[in-house]
Amino acid sequence: MLKWLLGRLGQAAGIAWLIASIVFISSRQLPDGPEQLVISDASDLARPGASTRTAASQAVARQAVRERLGLALPVFYVTRTARHWYWHGTANQYHHWLSAALRGDLGRSYRDGQPVTTLLAQSLRYTLPLAASAAALAAGLALALALHLARTPASWWQRLIFSLLSGLQITPLFLVALSLLLLFANPEFLNLLPAASQHSAAIGTWQLVGYWLGVSVLPLLSLVLVVLPELTLPLAALLRREATVGYALTARAKGLATQQVLRRHALPNAVLPLLTTFTDLLPSLVAGTVVVEVLFALPGSGRLLAEAAAAHDYPVVVAGVLFVAMARLLSLLLADIVQYVIDPRLRPTT
Amino acid sequence: MLLLPTPRARLATWLALSWLTFLIGTGLLAPWLPLPYAAATPDLLYVATPPTWPPDGPAHYLGTDALGRDVLAGLVVGAQRMVLLTLPAMLLATLAGTLAGATAGFWGNRQLRLPIAVAGWVATALWWTLALPGQIFLLVVASTLQLLSLPRWRAAARATPLVPYTFALPLDSLILGTITLLGAVPRLILLVVLAAGPPPTSLQLAGLLALLAWPEAARLVRSQMLWVRAQPFIAAAQASGLPIGRIWWHHALPHACRPLWAFAPLSLATLVGLESTLGFLGIGMGPDTISWGGLLATVRQSPAAWWVALAPGLALLLTLLSLQKVAAASSKSTAE
Repeated sequence: MLKWLLGRLGQAAGIAWLIASIVFISSRQLPDGPEQLVISDASDLARPGASTRTAASQAVARQAVRERLGLALPVFYVTRTARHWYWHGTANQYHHWLSAALRGDLGRSYRDGQPVTTLLAQSLRYTLPLAASAAALAAGLALALALHLARTPASWWQRLIFSLLSGLQITPLFLVALSLLLLFANPEFLNLLPAASQHSAAIGTWQLVGYWLGVSVLPLLSLVLVVLPELTLPLAALLRREATVGYALTARAKGLATQQVLRRHALPNAVLPLLTTFTDLLPSLVAGTVVVEVLFALPGSGRLLAEAAAAHDYPVVVAGVLFVAMARLLSLLLADIVQYVIDPRLRPTT
Repeated sequence: MLLLPTPRARLATWLALSWLTFLIGTGLLAPWLPLPYAAATPDLLYVATPPTWPPDGPAHYLGTDALGRDVLAGLVVGAQRMVLLTLPAMLLATLAGTLAGATAGFWGNRQLRLPIAVAGWVATALWWTLALPGQIFLLVVASTLQLLSLPRWRAAARATPLVPYTFALPLDSLILGTITLLGAVPRLILLVVLAAGPPPTSLQLAGLLALLAWPEAARLVRSQMLWVRAQPFIAAAQASGLPIGRIWWHHALPHACRPLWAFAPLSLATLVGLESTLGFLGIGMGPDTISWGGLLATVRQSPAAWWVALAPGLALLLTLLSLQKVAAASSKSTAE
C-alpha cells in the first residue's frame, strides 16, 4: 500500500511538473516577450518623454529590463540556432526557475514585483472558502434532491426539477451568473444584493461579516447551481437502479417506507460511484471560480489567474497552473484512497 | 431519430434540428446577408437604444449596445464566428479522439509489435529534422538495425510465431498518459493560459479547442473498443485469417463508433460553451472581434439595456438545449 501510494504521489508530481514546464517554456517562446509589459509601463508612467527617445536607447532599456528579470539567459539547457545546437549548462532560465520552485520560491510577478507565493496565498483566502462552501452546499443539496427524485412514480414537479437540472447541466456558468447578476443585483431591476466588492473602511466587524455574506451569495449560488446537476443526475439514476435490485425489494417487503429504503439501503451502495463524480467537481469549480470572480469582481485566485494571463504575467500563470494541477492530481489520489478504504475489493494487490 | 416514442418528443427534436440548421446557415451565409448595419461600426447617434423599427426610427431591430453597435448584426457575426470555430474543432477532435481511442483500445499495450527497423527509421527522421550533431554515427546505428532486423523478420514470417527483433509499442499507455496530462488542468484554465498570448488566429483557436476536446472522445471510443475487442466476431475474423488492420477498420471500428452519434452534439455543446466563455472573458480574441459571449459581456456597462443580454443569451441557451435534445434523441435511436 505504501509503495503504491508513493508511486502515485510521484506520478502526480511528475505530471504537474511536466505541465508547468510546458507552460513555462511555451510562454518564453512568444514573439513579444514578457518584458514588453514592464517596458511599456515604465515608459508610460515614470518617463513621459520615453516615446521621443531613439530606437537605440529603447533597445538598451529593453536589454536592461531583460537582464533584471533574468530573461537575457537562454531558455533551456540546450538551444538551437539555424545550424547548430548549443549547450548552456545550468545557466539558463528553466534551471533557475525549477531550482527556485523546488525551494518553494515561484518568482516575482512582472506587474508589481510581489512574490508569487504571497499573491497566491492572498487570493486563495477568498477562493478556498468560496469553492469549499459551494462544494459542501452542492453535495448536501444534491443528496436531498436525488433522494427525492429517485422515488419511482414521478410526479409532475419531479419531472420539472429533472428537466431544469438537465437544462442547467449544459448551460455555461457565465450565463447563469450573468442572469443572476442582472436579475438580483441590477440597479434598474431588483437591487437586492451588492455585486461588486467595494465597501467603506469604517464599519464594524459584524457589519463586515454581513457585507461579505451579502457579497458572496450570488457567486456561491451560481457555483452551486452549475455544480448541482453534475452531482444530482447521476446519483438519482444510481439510486433508481439500486431501488430495483433484490435487497431493496426485500427491505420494501419488510415494511420499510420508500424513503427509508432509499436512505438506509440504496444510498450506501450508490455512494461509491458518486465519489468519482465528486472528485470531478474540482475542475468545474476551479474553472467556475475564474468566471465568477471576474464577473463579480472578487479578489480571488481565479481572477488573479485570468488577469495574469491577459497581462502576460507569466510567473503568476505558471505558478497558478502548477497549483491547480497539483490540487487536481492530489484530489484524484485522495478519491482513490477513500475508495480503497470504503471498498476493500478495490485495493491494489501488491 | 425518426422513431421516437411520442409525437411531442419528435416535434421537439425537429424544432431543435431546424434551429441548428438555421444557425449554421446564418453562420455560413453571414457575409452575404443584407443587414442594415455592419457589426463592428458603432452607430453613435443611437447608443444603447432599445429595439426600433423603420417607421419610427432606425432599423436597429434588436437595439444597440453601450458602444452603439447593432445587436442583430452582432448576433449574425457571432454566429459566424461560432460556427466556423466550433464545428471544425468538433470534427477534428472527434476524428483524432476516435483514431486514438480505437487504436489504444484495440491494440492495447502489447499487441502492436513493430519491427525494430521502424525505431531506426523514426530515430533517423527525428535526428535529421532536429539537425542533431553526429549524423554519420546515427546513420551507422540505424542501418545496422535495419540489417539486423530484416533477415530475421523474413525468416520469422516463414517459421512459427518466432519474432525476435520486434518491439511492442505501448499505445494504450501513451494515449492514456497524454489524456491524463491534458486532464490535470481544467479545460477553461488551460484555454485561458494558452490563448492569452498574442490573439490567436481562428485556425489556431479551433486547433486549440480540438486539442482540449479530443480526450473525451478518445476515452469513450477506447472503452467501447475494449468491449468490442472481446466480442466473438472479432475472434472469428481473426480465425478466418483476415489481416489485423482490416479487422480493425471494417469490423471493430464501426461498432466502437456507435456512441459517437450521441456524443458529438454534446461535445459540440461543450465547445460552444467554452467559446462563448472565452468571448465573455475577452481572452483569445482581438479587441474588435465580436462573439455572443462578448456581446453578453457588454451588458455590464449598461445594466438597464436588457435587450443586449436577452437576444444573445436566448440564442446561446437555445443552441445548447437543441444540441442536448439532438444528443438525447440520437442516443435513444442508437440504443434500439
